[in-house]
Amino acid sequence: MEWDWTRWSGSQYPTSRAAGSNGQCTRVNWALPPRLGDVDDLFAPPDHEWQRVSIRLRDLRRILILGGCGVLALATGVPILIFTGLWWVVVLILIVFVCLAGWGWFWAARNQANWGYAEDADELIVTCGVAFKRLVAIPYGRMQFVDVSAGPLDRVFGIATVTLHTASTETAADIPGLPADEATRLRNRLTELGEAHGAGL
Amino acid sequence: MAPGSDTTEATGLRTHPLTGIVQGALWAVAASAGLVGSFASGEGVRGVLIGIAGGLILGMGFGILSWRFTRYVIDGAELRINSGVLTKSSRRIPYERIQSVDIVETLLARILGLAELRIEMAGGKDSRTTLRFLKLDDARALRTVLMNRAHGHDGDGPEIEEPRDLIALVEPERIMIGTLLSLDFMFSAIGVVALIVGGVWFGQIVVVLGGLIPLGWWLLQIIAKRVLLQWGFTLTRGTRGLRIERGFLSRNSQTIPFDRVQGIAVEEPYVWRRLGWQRLEVDVAGQSSHRDDQGSVSSSTLLPIADPELADHVIAELIPSAQPWTVPLIHAPQRSWIFAPIGWRYRAAGADDHTYVSTTGWLQRTTSIIPHHKTQSVALRQGPLQRLRRVATVEVHSPKGPVDAEGRHLDEGDARRQAFAQLEHARNARSAKSVR
Repeated sequence: MEWDWTRWSGSQYPTSRAAGSNGQCTRVNWALPPRLGDVDDLFAPPDHEWQRVSIRLRDLRRILILGGCGVLALATGVPILIFTGLWWVVVLILIVFVCLAGWGWFWAARNQANWGYAEDADELIVTCGVAFKRLVAIPYGRMQFVDVSAGPLDRVFGIATVTLHTASTETAADIPGLPADEATRLRNRLTELGEAHGAGL
Repeated sequence: MAPGSDTTEATGLRTHPLTGIVQGALWAVAASAGLVGSFASGEGVRGVLIGIAGGLILGMGFGILSWRFTRYVIDGAELRINSGVLTKSSRRIPYERIQSVDIVETLLARILGLAELRIEMAGGKDSRTTLRFLKLDDARALRTVLMNRAHGHDGDGPEIEEPRDLIALVEPERIMIGTLLSLDFMFSAIGVVALIVGGVWFGQIVVVLGGLIPLGWWLLQIIAKRVLLQWGFTLTRGTRGLRIERGFLSRNSQTIPFDRVQGIAVEEPYVWRRLGWQRLEVDVAGQSSHRDDQGSVSSSTLLPIADPELADHVIAELIPSAQPWTVPLIHAPQRSWIFAPIGWRYRAAGADDHTYVSTTGWLQRTTSIIPHHKTQSVALRQGPLQRLRRVATVEVHSPKGPVDAEGRHLDEGDARRQAFAQLEHARNARSAKSVR
């Protein structure tokens, strides 16, 4: 998907700078500029399509959320039913947890679908988030080290998390839910590229 | 290596004999505090005296013992510090890994004419080594030796202190006036006075103490950080970097190598801006991460108070091609008022060929400057409310420190363009660096 710069040129709608520079319009401009592109366009990589993470990340998270909700519902519902016998409280608790689990079910799918990464010529670009979207680009020459980590459940599902570190702590670039062999490939590739681009401060 | 050093090669040099006393006195205070606590409960005045005496003996004894077992060796390739009474430890500091050597005179040491050396090495945790205590002149000489070797000069021959040009000398009066005119000082001072007056008036001393202690502590912190720490501020330039000397109770001498500056922030508090005064903060790789381990002795302040001409001159010394006031800035659009009803007018960010510059702040204006070749990574962020307002935030990441460059709530198209343009700038700057 080619990014079309012209669609976003600031001159198509009044900005504060245009308003402030002639010194006349000082009241708040309530009218929003028309949405000129899809949200996805704002967070699209410059040249490539995103490589998405494994669908198994969604499945793993769904299991964790459903399991967690189930355990919590039992742990609160059963004692209340035994000791007080207020069945309607138990029903309320069940409804809350069913809603939570339902929300988690959809959240897992949307979150998984929104993780993406692209290996550009000079940078690795990582995007994530549904409501709070983030795109971070890390030049290969700035990477200090690359971590691969996989917890016990991750290993059951055959996925791993790759984390990139630079000298800045704000970089915070994680790619969760990579298939194990892809994670290893990416780590090796990034290490190679980092050396080629002269990593370090 | 100075002639006759072969004899010292094996045994090493001792630190100053008073080290044991100074170090011991510090430990003695801690030890006697503990002993007094345990004795006082049972035996009254006699217990307290025994506690103090015991603490002194223990502390001094341990201080002198550890001094006896500490030696340092300046060798052809590295500085070695051997220490430890029961468990021996040997710290090796290869010259080529030395980043900077600072001299710190803590209060007690300063009274006795002693100083400690803090040696920063590249990379990792534990990258700071302290050697305490030496006579001030010896510490200065050792720093010159270490810095010469760190830059690959042969140690042979006379080791002369490099010539230094004075850039700025900030008088204590100016620092005090500047602090008096800053809003946080005024607020806390007025608060303390109001609380005391109110407390006396209404006779509610206990109630007032609850507010007085945190407010008074804040006031003391401001005075300690802005006035005492910056007392007698001197900024000089050598061939490899700027050197700062400052401090009222304890004196601190810190070197800022030119190539390790990650970014500079220009701060203009509300009243200062009316008077045309500025304060500079600096990010130096590897130094900010140590900021809290030795109390508040080191500081990221590059210039506590200055006129814009001097500030620009210092910025130009550290980031030679920076033109922070002519960089074309993209302002946050009016529709971003919802995030900062007043502050949105002051939010702007932009880049020229050499630096990324962002400004923010309504009461205190902060202008952050990051050279392109120090850009670590670039991020673009948008939350749900930002999406409704069609704005997004650009972050340019630099190593941890006071400088934080981001263009907040810019028009989303501008933000995206700026983020990718910044990657391009950073790439060009890196390749220019590696060619040179």
